[in-house]
Amino acid sequence: MPTIRRFSATLVAAASLGWLIQSPALAADKPFADVGKQAPLTMLVPATPWLPAFTKMVEQYEAQTGNVVKLDVNPFGGVLDKARNDVHSGGGNYGALFLDTQWTIEMYEGGFVTPFADVDPAFVIPKEVLTYGDSGYWNAQKRWRTANGGKLMGFTVLGNVQMWYYRADVLKQAGLAPPKTWEDVLASCAKIGKPPATYGAVFRAERGNGIRYDWMQWMVERKGTVVKDPENGDFTVTLNSAANKASLDQFIELATKCGPPNPGSIGQGDVIQLMSTGKALQAQLVLAAWSNFEDPKKSAVVGKLEVVPLPKPAGGVAGGVIGNWNYTIEKGASAEQKKAAIAFAKWFLTYDAQYAYARSGGIPNRTDVLTSDLARDPAFRWMSAYAETMKSATQELGYAEGPQVEQILGLRLNQAMIGEMSSAKALNVAAQEIRDVFAKNGRKTAIGPSLPE
Amino acid sequence: MILRDLRDPRGGGIAGATFKYWSVAPAVLVLAALTVLPALALLRMSVSTITFADGREHWAFTPARNVAALASDPGLAATIVNTLLFVVVAVAIEMAAGLALALLVGSLTRGKGVMRTILIVPILVPPVAIGNMFKLMYNYDFGLFNQILVAVGLPAVSWLGSTSLALWSIVLVDVWHWVPFVFLILFAAVEALPVDVMEAAHVDGANRWQMLARIKLPLLKPAIIVALLFRAILAFKAFDEVYLLTGGGPGTSSELVSLHLYRVFFEQNQLGYGALLSVLTIVVVLSLLGAGRRFVVGAGAP
Amino acid sequence: MNASARGLASLTWTPAARTRALGLALIALSILIVVGPFIWVLANSFKSPIAILTGAWSFTPTLDNYVDVLSSKRSDFVHALATSFAVAAASTSFVVVIATLAAYSLHRFAWAQWAVRAMLVWTVAFHVIPIITMVGPWYVAFRALGLYDTRTALVLTHVVINLPVALWLMMSFFRAVPPEIEEAAMVDGCHSLAAFWYIVLPLVVPGLVATGVLAFIFSWNEFTIALNLTSQANATVPVVVSKFANDYEVQHGPMAAASILATLPALALMFFGQRFVVQGLTLGAVK
Repeated sequence: MPTIRRFSATLVAAASLGWLIQSPALAADKPFADVGKQAPLTMLVPATPWLPAFTKMVEQYEAQTGNVVKLDVNPFGGVLDKARNDVHSGGGNYGALFLDTQWTIEMYEGGFVTPFADVDPAFVIPKEVLTYGDSGYWNAQKRWRTANGGKLMGFTVLGNVQMWYYRADVLKQAGLAPPKTWEDVLASCAKIGKPPATYGAVFRAERGNGIRYDWMQWMVERKGTVVKDPENGDFTVTLNSAANKASLDQFIELATKCGPPNPGSIGQGDVIQLMSTGKALQAQLVLAAWSNFEDPKKSAVVGKLEVVPLPKPAGGVAGGVIGNWNYTIEKGASAEQKKAAIAFAKWFLTYDAQYAYARSGGIPNRTDVLTSDLARDPAFRWMSAYAETMKSATQELGYAEGPQVEQILGLRLNQAMIGEMSSAKALNVAAQEIRDVFAKNGRKTAIGPSLPE
Repeated sequence: MILRDLRDPRGGGIAGATFKYWSVAPAVLVLAALTVLPALALLRMSVSTITFADGREHWAFTPARNVAALASDPGLAATIVNTLLFVVVAVAIEMAAGLALALLVGSLTRGKGVMRTILIVPILVPPVAIGNMFKLMYNYDFGLFNQILVAVGLPAVSWLGSTSLALWSIVLVDVWHWVPFVFLILFAAVEALPVDVMEAAHVDGANRWQMLARIKLPLLKPAIIVALLFRAILAFKAFDEVYLLTGGGPGTSSELVSLHLYRVFFEQNQLGYGALLSVLTIVVVLSLLGAGRRFVVGAGAP
Repeated sequence: MNASARGLASLTWTPAARTRALGLALIALSILIVVGPFIWVLANSFKSPIAILTGAWSFTPTLDNYVDVLSSKRSDFVHALATSFAVAAASTSFVVVIATLAAYSLHRFAWAQWAVRAMLVWTVAFHVIPIITMVGPWYVAFRALGLYDTRTALVLTHVVINLPVALWLMMSFFRAVPPEIEEAAMVDGCHSLAAFWYIVLPLVVPGLVATGVLAFIFSWNEFTIALNLTSQANATVPVVVSKFANDYEVQHGPMAAASILATLPALALMFFGQRFVVQGLTLGAVK
């Protein structure tokens, strides 16, 4: 098996190398989509592990169409900084803005990005493109991201979701199947983990986005919610429910029993470090981290990892929490820039472009690419698990108060993790604080009965 | 170039006669052009609520709402305590170490230039790199510090994961980073000590400690005060290290005012309340410094 | 150095020799503490990412990180070094001259007390304001002036953020000059401007150098303004370095290499720059 894998990896490498060498010649080939001559387009983009893949696509677009695209690459927070600076002062520096899912609401609600139909009434998103919980649509009446009554404001350039990473070699040796439930994980980590040499499973539970995002995954699997029905304006806080307490308790139990002795300070970088050095044997981690483990310079476990959809609690439902980057068009951009932005979007959303994007190391957003011949290639062995997860994945915190709610949860959940508060108290306190935020903003809100502490 | 034309030792012409005024003018101009408007904007923001709709900013005058937000901000108390602890401890260590180094290096007979160059290395490293490098060194499983501890038979320590240790781990990084700042200023002051005064005192038979306490320290006082003042302000604003190392956690154990302000102003985009926090920080720091000045001046009086 | 070597050789542990040896030991220890982490970063810059992550002591040195930093299309590190150098050198020159003149005037001449106090308090207050609350208004202003994404905008803002430290520092150094020296010069018929240039300035050269070094470093490492007021074309070193740390991974190897590449030229520049400045000023004084 390893021999075959190495062989096919070599094949893929050789094929992509040949493809790279040929790429200048591609200019003469038929473009993926005929988009005509366009003005130079400037995009505001984040420095991320998938940026090299996206850059390759931009180069290919330039070669095929002769149109020019400039990328203004920035660190994560810098993208928001610069987007705000520009749009608050009328805009015009950028044609396309890449927005993290949490920033889209601020930009949609503020009227800083333009509906695609205002630029090109004929524009339609191909039906094969995943909707990623409708993060690209805005219904201004409902103040909600939904295709139902909403306008198209963007599409996903990179759709991230958490997967279960495991060491196939270790599990096989121990005679274990990939876990289906958290109970399986608990049993397996006791069997395979030998701390401090190895940890059976690691979770991200550091204060802030780390623990908020990871725990919400567990929350949706027990059909838990933070607020009752935000889409229809009911912001009754439902965080302090028995289901949420159960998922938090289980999350804390696994993080403390399976992982390192400092779970409350484990962040994304730590999880990747523990996995790539071979110290962690399983982890809950975003798919975008995958490429780290397949590069021999960065990883001691090349070819040893597999991914499956995340385990569920016994009796739970499948679910996933999406974190995606959205391609949007700035309202203040010139008419030519907007037109050029639409042209690139049409090209980038074609099957051929998404196929090439996947081959360059990106995560494609089309179902037909996710089920193409690539999915059977061992180098893309994450594809089917990803496609499976995306069937039930959703957006969370899709309201203007999202960043505040995230910070409240990020702190209180972390305090429960490190034992400063009981899980019930953490949820009660957070629920109260979240209610206050909604009340201050004039939302219709209330709070359910407190959990017994 | 202008100065070169004025070598006439007695004259100085118009430029010489108006020296008092034109020498201050550039500084006043720069400050007026670049600080006044942003400061006024900040003040106005601190009593407003800013919302965004239809691609525009909408300002509303809401001082009461902003003050109410202050009263109901749950994390603020712990944040203030942490910040004061951080500033007092870090700055005290940095001042003591920087002064000691300045005096030690000042007493060398040769190699001062090289020493000065070597000892300022930490402030040259980009702060984002300092944060990430120390995060690696503090790592529980692979970090340099725990490797050393384990090698000498001690148990590994959770430098950033323990609520009682996280803040002090950040203080350690801050000390490493900023002692050079204090050293650089005080070393310059040591170098500028008037040679004849030192020699006279030496001839008078003053010993090392008498020289230090009675001659050197009083002469160094202006430089010490400036180093202390700006070091304290920068410590109040410390951000990169704590943001990169702990993000304020675990819990609220290493949350600092600067980080809290960043969350409110930038991440939550609450510009009004964020500006109010910023204005309050300025008021508090200035009053603390004012009180400190009175204390120093009072203590220094004979 | 020699004295202590002799002291050690003769084994006469007089109290003075002991203090001296202790002093040297303390200096050696501080060098170790200061340089240790830097050496560690230097070592990391030659390691593969996986060797860095495991904290390996033995490793096969590689130049990959340097190649990555210097050839990476997204960073354009050499260009950033040039931008950083131009901005830091220009803003340092301006701020040292502006602050020195202002500090001397405020120190030496009979300004009303409120004026001096207003200037000092205002500069300190401004220094306390968090930079993130300033960049918004600056962005709007520079854009209106057509200076967005120019080195001029960075030089101007770096001058103003360094002015408080420079002004206060230079005032403290002028205060340390005994007033009799200036008075003597004035009695000799020296005009105030000449007294400043020929008599006082040479006495504060160490202060000037320290002020210049600090202004240079703060400009060299300034991140928030440089990020917000420029695009890729005028990015400075800290902005480029920050791109090696993103949401999903910190590229420790390239970041270490970039830190070394950012630090060593600045160090060399300051070492030789100081000598140049000191010599220039001292020559001026000797004339």
